Amino acid sequence: MSILHACGNDPYDKEYGIAVSALGENFSPYERTNQLLKQLHDTPYTVDDQRAMLVTEAYDRFRADPQIIKVAKTLKYVLEHVDIHIYPGELLVCGNGAPMKSCPIFPEFSYAWVADEIRTFPFHVREMQKYEPQTKEQEERLLSIEEFWRDNTVDDYSCARMTPEEIRASQMGYGLFVNTIILRAGVGHTSPNYRRLLAKGFGGLRRDVEEKLKALDRTDPDALQKIYYYQASLIVLEGAEAYCRRYAKLALEQAKTASPERAAELEEVARVCNHIAVEPPRTFREALQLFLLGTAIVVTEANGQSISYGRFDQFMYPFYRHDIETGTATKQEIEMLIELAFIKLTGMQKLRDKNAVKQASGRGLGGDCMTVGGVDRRGLDATNDLTFLVLDARNHTRLISPWMAVRMHKNTPWELKVKVANSIRIGTGEPKIFNDEVAIPAGLGKGYSLEDARDYTVVGCVEIDAAGYEYGCHDATYFNVSRVLELAINDGKWLHDDVQMGPHTGYLKDFTSFDQVLDAFDIQMKYFVDLMVSSINTIEEVHKEYKPLPYLSLLIDNCIESGRDVTAGGAKYNLTGPQALALGTAADSLSTIKQLVFDEKTITAQTLIDALKANWEGYDTLYRLVNSDKVHHYGNDDDYADELAKFVFDTYCKYVEKRPNVRGGRFAPGVYSVAGNVPHGMVQWASADGRQAYEPVSDCIGAVHTHVASHDIKGPTAMLNSVAKLDHERAGNGTLLNWKFNPSCVQGETGRNNLIALLDMIIDKKVMHSQFNIITREQLEAAQKDPEKYKHMLVRVAGYSAYFVDLGVNLQRDIIERTEFSFD
Amino acid sequence: MSQREPTGIVFNIQRFTVHDGPGIRTEIFLKGCTLRCKWCSNPESQSPRREPGVYITKCIGLDHCGLCSQACPTGSILREEHGFVTAIARDTCAHCMRCTDVCPANALKSWGVEMTADQVMEEILADRPLMERSGGGVTFSGGEALFQFDFLMELLRRCRAKELHTCVETALHVPQDHLAQTVPLTDLYIFDIKDISSQRHRAFTGAGNELILDNARFLSRTGKPMVVRIPIIPGHNDMEENILGIRDFILQEMEHKPLQIQFLRFRRLGEEKYASLGMPYVMTEEVERAEFEQHVHHLVSLMTQAGLPAVAGTTKPIAGLSGGTP
Repeated sequence: MSILHACGNDPYDKEYGIAVSALGENFSPYERTNQLLKQLHDTPYTVDDQRAMLVTEAYDRFRADPQIIKVAKTLKYVLEHVDIHIYPGELLVCGNGAPMKSCPIFPEFSYAWVADEIRTFPFHVREMQKYEPQTKEQEERLLSIEEFWRDNTVDDYSCARMTPEEIRASQMGYGLFVNTIILRAGVGHTSPNYRRLLAKGFGGLRRDVEEKLKALDRTDPDALQKIYYYQASLIVLEGAEAYCRRYAKLALEQAKTASPERAAELEEVARVCNHIAVEPPRTFREALQLFLLGTAIVVTEANGQSISYGRFDQFMYPFYRHDIETGTATKQEIEMLIELAFIKLTGMQKLRDKNAVKQASGRGLGGDCMTVGGVDRRGLDATNDLTFLVLDARNHTRLISPWMAVRMHKNTPWELKVKVANSIRIGTGEPKIFNDEVAIPAGLGKGYSLEDARDYTVVGCVEIDAAGYEYGCHDATYFNVSRVLELAINDGKWLHDDVQMGPHTGYLKDFTSFDQVLDAFDIQMKYFVDLMVSSINTIEEVHKEYKPLPYLSLLIDNCIESGRDVTAGGAKYNLTGPQALALGTAADSLSTIKQLVFDEKTITAQTLIDALKANWEGYDTLYRLVNSDKVHHYGNDDDYADELAKFVFDTYCKYVEKRPNVRGGRFAPGVYSVAGNVPHGMVQWASADGRQAYEPVSDCIGAVHTHVASHDIKGPTAMLNSVAKLDHERAGNGTLLNWKFNPSCVQGETGRNNLIALLDMIIDKKVMHSQFNIITREQLEAAQKDPEKYKHMLVRVAGYSAYFVDLGVNLQRDIIERTEFSFD
Repeated sequence: MSQREPTGIVFNIQRFTVHDGPGIRTEIFLKGCTLRCKWCSNPESQSPRREPGVYITKCIGLDHCGLCSQACPTGSILREEHGFVTAIARDTCAHCMRCTDVCPANALKSWGVEMTADQVMEEILADRPLMERSGGGVTFSGGEALFQFDFLMELLRRCRAKELHTCVETALHVPQDHLAQTVPLTDLYIFDIKDISSQRHRAFTGAGNELILDNARFLSRTGKPMVVRIPIIPGHNDMEENILGIRDFILQEMEHKPLQIQFLRFRRLGEEKYASLGMPYVMTEEVERAEFEQHVHHLVSLMTQAGLPAVAGTTKPIAGLSGGTP
């Protein structure tokens, strides 16, 4: 058997059904996978207090240490003391400081909301994403540490430093931009250098650090910070080793009372864990175990969103090849192990506050993206056997984790395209498609070397990242460009609230040409981008001072080389990526103004402003007109509106790109909303695109869809042509287009091949990132009515998939109202 | 006299269609038809003229909008008791379409727009890369694609000049010399044989089938790739005897055989469109789907048993037709 030209284990063109999503069971050919899937599904979601208590103890005990030593000792303390678990049937182990499907708590980032929710709105009374009730003792313990963390978290320190203007424009004020993600939790959004971890093992990393530390002179005042940094590195490495050995010990203990068959399995678990505690892995299984534990510790250190799994099919391939060539393992054994690893990843959970849950995202760690396919560092197609096995493992498990990205390019082999199309047709929304033809130039634009750009991985929902070399703060902020337009036509004030938010740029009624609208928009944009940039820098500075990440820094080049933590600019690439959202809303609003007020003069500026102030009430005729195809709309391959979208896109990028950040790097703009279009809309007054107050704004780079009309009416190819007019390479932090297809139009071999032709076009047209929902409105509405029956229905949200029934009602509605393309 | 840019009345352009010919296609629906099939699901395609359609539920009320009544030169906008537009007085309507131009709510919709050949080609060429990628092209349909014969010829010639794959979907109730002129410019024909009995054909479509069958014979002699469609309408043409008759016609009288014979199951479509045109919808009888499905498969088997490539539906791959990416 040639493994070089193989296409996985299942036939490459195997079909897994159309629009069946994750409903049903026993997707895997392996009984163990199906059993562990059931065990996972049967385990309830809980919240665990142990990590919070251990961290509090450690912060108290090590309070005299330099901050970086303190956090290192804290992580080690957690790894040495937190309860660990090996569940029945498991061959691979890991945990993030809490039992399976239990959320650990990270008080060092933010804590007021945790205590507040326990007191007033406990986690089990939530409507969505609820958890089992906590015991009285757990609640009391968690409340007992409230005082310790009062005004003593990253959140508190950051807020104390922000200016009133920054606060007023942010989610704490009027919500023009939202930076909750990096304010309340770890920055995350990074992908460790797994190649380095697997090549060196913890022991090899330790030798690297020791060598650097030895070379430093303790009498040199400039060396002190570096010495602290390296000392911290050694402390977390001790913790990592201890953590692995604890799993080995637990496995042997369990083996004593297990059946002979299970005892043998557990002894193998122990052997593997003991080996990788220090030594680099030799086999696929050892590598996979180190991958899991190595990742779990990153998650335990800082609960950042979007800690991503890199190019798994690439860095694991040498181990795969070794096993196949030496007969150490079969393809089937390896495929099953990958499936078991996905189950372990899904067992790790993250607690989000009640508002975050109501508005948006689903369960799981969030943003933990795995990337396969694409070109290698030389620019040649890198598809291998593992690429297929990973996609099939995902098709066989259909869980929340990992989020799956496939990189495609003009030489992607036909077999992989078929595998991707058949995977998409299942209807879980996975995988998403990244376009190397755009992402690589975009990486170059961010300052990557050509080799690093070709080696990019997808982080989180949308972002491209030089895996293992970058600390990219990719989800720094979401910035609503359509609200900038609201201020631009009303002299810097909101339409329904007299607060002067931005500079005085005049009223729409006084403008004599459309260019004056664009000029005002430009001025307001600069003002608010400045506020956003300064607030992000403030927060990042706090992370640097209070929550350095010595363990993650071991796995990001050049931190060890430079003796600096990732938060202090130790990485080879230091980027910060804030996103523009509501591109479509802004473009269609501008189009309304240009066409109706200035070009055709069918309404006066005052009428439009009055209609908006009245939230369209009493202006039915205008409201319908603006929502009809008589007004030019973005997304229909119509230059009139598409040029305006381009203007908005470029204006945002112009003011964000190349701004310096606090880590010696710079900002890179993104243009997407993920699910942020719903909560952002919920605080926004009516807009000129025909949106009523509090409706969602347009999603990602998609077209507007209001309660009365979808504004893109010309089908998917027109949409594709519209988005292709945007300069995706300029948005180094990513863009995203959501597609929703009726299952009937991808049916059969014909449908599959047409989907592939569409994928090819997306590559040709240089659209960076696309993702697909293959589902009917009826299915979604049925799931709203009978959530129990549809509890496993995974759907695409934006950049990620989630269980539909776990989503907030507004987001559910938004997904239902996205334009569904169906042909015939 | 200056040469006038050729124009036609188009009632729909659908990009990314996948079932009327190979690959991904742009389908041009030309208005006007020579038949009046009782089951027609596109009643707006029948008349060659532009005509207003009324969607009552979208109307926001004549009292505080009323743009349509103000625009109508003949007072043909009819209102119901709550002040919403309910219909157009078809006998007085001047087909000026001013009401649809001003309606902000899309409650009045123009069925059909006048387009120049340039405009149609611009829309077609926007998706050319996708057509090339998928082995697709352009499909002309109707109505009857050949009803606006000169306009069709113009578009076919322009597509040929751009080397686009062309498909003509026709009911074949058209002059044979017209059909003959399209042959050199067309890569694939899709046509219906609805009924082998001319008497029944006349009863349900308004015309006998002689011309249609003769055109089918003619086309089969050209050797052009063909797909034959048989709409299966319960209680009208779904008897064995009809299918056997069509089978024998294909076997005995068509020189080159069709690449595929597609049985289209009747579905109650277009009811809303009938209402919008103020036309009665007559196909109201409910069909028991499972039973019907079984019956259709039985009818298909009558063909396949005779060695003909018959299938139910339009989604099965067609042997001998390039399409899809290799």
